[in-house]
Amino acid sequence: MGRTLPSITQVFLQEQESLSRFRRALRRSDQVALDDLFAAARQHLAAAAYAGHALPFEVFLLAMLLEEHKEVLRLRHCVEELEGQVPASALELPG
Amino acid sequence: MKFTGWLLDVYALPEGYNPDELEASSSPPPYKGKPGDPQDGAALWLLDERDGSRRRLWQALPVTFHAAGPAPRLRLLWRYLQRFPVSLSRSERHELFSDQPLTVLTIQVARPAAQPALFRQVSQAFPDLTYFDADLPLSLRHAACYGTFPLARCRVEVDEKGQVHALEVLNSPWELDPAAVPLRVLSLEPDVDPFHAAPSHVLVRTKDACYRLSLQPVRPLLVNLRAILLRHDPDLLLTAWGDTWLLPHLLELSERHNLPLPLNRDTDCSPVYHQERTYFAYGQVIYRGQQVHLFGRWHVDGHNAVLYHDYGMEGIFELARVTSLPVQAVARLSPGSGISAMQMLTALREGVLVPWHKQQAERPKTAQELLRADQGGLVYQPVIGLHRDVAEIDFVSMYPSIMARFNISPETVKNSPHPKFGDFVPSAQQEMEQGLVPRTLQPLLEKRIALKLHLAELPAWHPRRSAYKARASAHKWLLVTCFGYLGYKNARFGRIEAHEAVTAYGRETLLRAKEAAEDLGYNVLHLYVDGMWVQKQKAKRVADFQPLLDEIVTRTRLPVALDGIYRWVAFLPSRMDARVPVPNRYFGVFQDGSLKMRGIESRRQDTPPWIVQVQLAMLDCLAQATSIDELPDCLPALGRLLRKACADLRLGRVPLAGLLVSQKLSRELNEYSVPSPAARAAAQLEAAGKHLRPGQCVHFLCTIGEPGVRAWDLPDPPNPATIDRDYYRRLLLRAASSVVEPLGVKSIELEDGSSYLCRNGK
Repeated sequence: MGRTLPSITQVFLQEQESLSRFRRALRRSDQVALDDLFAAARQHLAAAAYAGHALPFEVFLLAMLLEEHKEVLRLRHCVEELEGQVPASALELPG
Repeated sequence: MKFTGWLLDVYALPEGYNPDELEASSSPPPYKGKPGDPQDGAALWLLDERDGSRRRLWQALPVTFHAAGPAPRLRLLWRYLQRFPVSLSRSERHELFSDQPLTVLTIQVARPAAQPALFRQVSQAFPDLTYFDADLPLSLRHAACYGTFPLARCRVEVDEKGQVHALEVLNSPWELDPAAVPLRVLSLEPDVDPFHAAPSHVLVRTKDACYRLSLQPVRPLLVNLRAILLRHDPDLLLTAWGDTWLLPHLLELSERHNLPLPLNRDTDCSPVYHQERTYFAYGQVIYRGQQVHLFGRWHVDGHNAVLYHDYGMEGIFELARVTSLPVQAVARLSPGSGISAMQMLTALREGVLVPWHKQQAERPKTAQELLRADQGGLVYQPVIGLHRDVAEIDFVSMYPSIMARFNISPETVKNSPHPKFGDFVPSAQQEMEQGLVPRTLQPLLEKRIALKLHLAELPAWHPRRSAYKARASAHKWLLVTCFGYLGYKNARFGRIEAHEAVTAYGRETLLRAKEAAEDLGYNVLHLYVDGMWVQKQKAKRVADFQPLLDEIVTRTRLPVALDGIYRWVAFLPSRMDARVPVPNRYFGVFQDGSLKMRGIESRRQDTPPWIVQVQLAMLDCLAQATSIDELPDCLPALGRLLRKACADLRLGRVPLAGLLVSQKLSRELNEYSVPSPAARAAAQLEAAGKHLRPGQCVHFLCTIGEPGVRAWDLPDPPNPATIDRDYYRRLLLRAASSVVEPLGVKSIELEDGSSYLCRNGK
């Protein structure tokens, strides 16, 4: 309403829509993973809007990457914690 | 003669008013005046402080407007106006959008009542000229000359003909506690909603009496009503459906039976009707019913007044005081018109021209500028789930505060380089003289903050609390719309760059607040335009959040307040996708046990009242828990509530009125390609002879079979057996799941009337 540019949510949905053919051709299990990526990007709409980037999809990709990296860090932390519970000898690779 | 009293109303005297002949003849003689004749002027109603009498006085009030354009055209206009009773002059005036003084032709009309017609004629004959101060309400002109406002306490000097020779206002609209004005109120209400069924009686209430008058037969009704009006002589006629049904009905009866009904106190005028209208604002279709305005007495229809349910008469009087618009007008105007009036008054007082139609186009911008500027407030996606000990911190009237603090006004932003907006360094517009918009807002903001501080000190039982709250609410709406009007293309003092500057500062402010919170070790759960939800380990008390409040004030220099500390708050995910958070769907309980909720079913106006009731009962049940750890203990009680509600629905124990869905019509009936349930219900009403306009609300029940709905306002009562119980059960379960979802309840299963809640993973 009263805006020249579409809102960030509109842009996001348009970008998602533009990939619907790509999504359709994916296997069902891959479609679910793709949807997860978009859901992750959606958590950073406010930051994407504030960025005012001319190519918003780049920002959405970065947002997906950001969430992926958070997940990597979380898993790394879990692994380190688990490693702490296991005797060091058990972790040594046979060599 | 000198006396002191309260000013009730100012309006243009009807044409032909002559104080000498007032007593002698009841019908006004034709106007015989010449320019400058003292008979021309404005009517002033004053409540005399000495004896409580209501006096109609009159005062000369010449009305001035201006035309600007090429000199030859102005000369033609001059010649054209020679044959009218006006005085003409050439003058130089200050126009807000230009630095140079503007040469205008100034037209002064002695008779205020004649000015609108004259201006219409002139603007049609000379459509190419630019006009200023042309269509201002008379009360604003009076306010600009004498500093008056409705309910102002004035000292007047009057001659024996009732002409005011001197007028002095003794108080200010910015007083926190204006003296109570001894107004007489009479309320009139039909016994039933006239759009639902035909009323049979009208209930009349005064301060110490109550009457129930039958609408049939007509003659005794009119005679009695007339006697009551004359005996009580109310200042305010407070009605239900008075605009849309009662007053037009009574006036029609009075005319048909030739029995005059003194609804007006001013016998020289007849009540004025304003047509119903539908318009589009803030993304909604809005309907305003027909209006009936009285003279010498106010008429307010509680069902047709804007936000009456929110701030009542106290709020309306407050709006009238601060905007200087007449009480009857302000009751029915949007707050946007109120703020617009305040800006016009500032302009009139300072000799700044008020454009008739604004002619200000948007400055061309590069794509990059547009990408940066064409944004709203920052709206984050909250962290989904249940959180304990969360503080909600809000900026106090953020956008108006920004306008005042950074001096944002259409005339101050015009030369500023755009990318500078939002930088907190002193910029060009901050060094300029305070702009028109900040000048108008400053006293209002100060009054609102003073009122809020005052309110915070009053104990909960204090009798003045509700009045203060109503007035604070009226201020809130004025301030909220003030921002929208900066960006509205038809607003007289609007400018899109000013609007963009405000949001740019808003984003910068919120980011600074976020950074302050993170620097001090708080976890930011959610950010929403002017509010922030934060938590920190072991922070539970107000004092634990004070350092953050102080830091935010230091970094933004804008006022912030701690809205409260939640024992717990739940941010809900989207209905469509549980992974996706939505910004404005949450509920929580503050430490004092009060609930706050946004975006859930109870807050939606189309949710049936019974569903709202059940959802609120479930939330109340959760509010009993003193901490987040006790919430799971509430589940059995929630289960019982829900089971009982389902049984009530199944056994037909829910009153039909509780199942009413209320939806607005978004367009005319023939414009629907696929009729919505609301449109189908409206079509039933149409068939029964009741026509609804876009923006009006339809109340209906959902029923089994075709057409699936039944309008509530049909003549015959609905059959309870046709209710679509499955539909209402689905609505109920959806409302219930919004409440229990954050507690880890995955699904609610109901089979054969038995219902239970199951915990996640069990």
